[in-house]
Amino acid sequence: MPSQDPRGRSGPSRRDFLRGSGVAAATAVLTAPAVDALDEARAAELAQGPPVLSGDTTITLQVNGQAREVVVEPRSTLLDTLRNRLDVTGPKRVCDRGSCGACTVILDGDPIYACTTLAVSCQGHAIETLESFDPEIVPAAFHRNDALMCGYCTPGFVTACKALLDKNPNPTLEDVRRGLDGNICRCGTYVGVLQAALDAAKALRKEA
Amino acid sequence: MRAFEYASPTSIADAVKALGGSGSSAALAGGTDLISRMKDDIVRPARVVYVKGIPELSGIRVEGSVVTLGAATRLVDLVQHAALAELAPAVRQAALEVGSPQIRNMATLGGNLCQRPCDWYFRNGFGLLGGRKQGRNLVRELEGEYAPIDVEETAHLVRDGDNRYAAIFMTDGDALYAHSSSLAPPLIALGATATLVGPDGERTVPVAELYRIPQSAGESELTLRPGELLTQVRFTAGPRNATYEVRQKQSHDWPLVLCSVALTMDGDRVSKASVVLGSVAPIPYRAEAAERAITGHVVSTETAEAAGQAAVEGAKPLSMNGYKVTLTRTAVKRALLAAVGQRYWEG
Repeated sequence: MPSQDPRGRSGPSRRDFLRGSGVAAATAVLTAPAVDALDEARAAELAQGPPVLSGDTTITLQVNGQAREVVVEPRSTLLDTLRNRLDVTGPKRVCDRGSCGACTVILDGDPIYACTTLAVSCQGHAIETLESFDPEIVPAAFHRNDALMCGYCTPGFVTACKALLDKNPNPTLEDVRRGLDGNICRCGTYVGVLQAALDAAKALRKEA
Repeated sequence: MRAFEYASPTSIADAVKALGGSGSSAALAGGTDLISRMKDDIVRPARVVYVKGIPELSGIRVEGSVVTLGAATRLVDLVQHAALAELAPAVRQAALEVGSPQIRNMATLGGNLCQRPCDWYFRNGFGLLGGRKQGRNLVRELEGEYAPIDVEETAHLVRDGDNRYAAIFMTDGDALYAHSSSLAPPLIALGATATLVGPDGERTVPVAELYRIPQSAGESELTLRPGELLTQVRFTAGPRNATYEVRQKQSHDWPLVLCSVALTMDGDRVSKASVVLGSVAPIPYRAEAAERAITGHVVSTETAEAAGQAAVEGAKPLSMNGYKVTLTRTAVKRALLAAVGQRYWEG
């Protein structure tokens, strides 16, 4: 299985370069004093209800079977947290509005859009991304069936496909169509994608 | 997205407390609507209260023919519930067609009922009434900032603009968007009530009364009071019911027209009918003329067609959506036939 941490790879990476060049700018922001002054009325109000989070918050996410501690804000989406804070860059940010499916991750067994999910609300839930998939099953089937052109949608399709096969290892073409409804490919590789999904199911059956 | 405070209560009482703070607040469930509106700066809640972690807010309870649905029940759970499919196929069918698998895994019943209209003028900050103007400039509803668009003083963004998906009924006023909830029509047809809990306690209203036609800029089409949370929906199944939906795409699309019907039968004849249309008016639209047309009759291709024809009398489509009149006629006919188990293509 490939390493989940891109920093473990040898040689320079595009992400490391971008990160390095952003350090100087980011430091100024981070060291600015973040004062969170609550007036008395507000404090009393908060005491009555459930705890309220604001600003930087440390949470723990279960990503691909590992507990990952990360600092987020309430507004951080699961997608941005995975990609920008945890270097889990399989899920892609494309439409960022829950329409295209490129950000699909599996939450407690169900495929969801990570771009319209808040990271803070995912604590205590199992998050699976394609970094954890067996490359010989679904990804290999996409490769064999020429199921991609530009590749932007592919991680989302692979994830939706894996989630479908986890629940239904023996899908019909109609099941595959319905299961992959939430993903869009602008290159139009749908024929290959549908074939790949059925082929992956076959590969799974062989393995079992 | 702008920063906000976040609370994740585990009881309805705590959720209501958190929603009722001094600033603006919003209840977050699946997030498929709210998060996108926040990203687009259409809404700026100071506090977001996540309600999906409240156990008492989720679940489907069937006692005899009385069905109680928790507001945070996911759409996928509505689709997969065997007893619900038996008792209320109209609800299941409507839930089955919402969005995509990912959306149905996230989105909830309450979120579907309380989502804001899927109208491109509203979603771009121009409100529900066709754009407010100052002189010859359009004002973005929330920001109070000028959009650099020079328009006639009488211009109405929807009436004079691209209104292909807008309303065809109740189009005399300024609210011309089409109501987007897929689950409101079946629940209204089934006579469902909604329970709302707020700072002033609990109240129960018919689902139809969750909606109104906004009259002034900034007014919501939802009748929920500030700090109120929709907690559950309840109805008594029994009548034959069905939903028929027409979309442009096979999936992952909004309905162009959706029709839900619930029929009480006296032998073969319809003794009482509810026909409710979605996506054709600024609120879920009760087609009373269709109800009158089918009552007292056996549902057949001919009587269903007549009811469909009755449904569209009085429709006033806009410049680009006359096609919805035809779709409505067909949707009413097919929903009625589906409710009595007849396949429309075999009539």
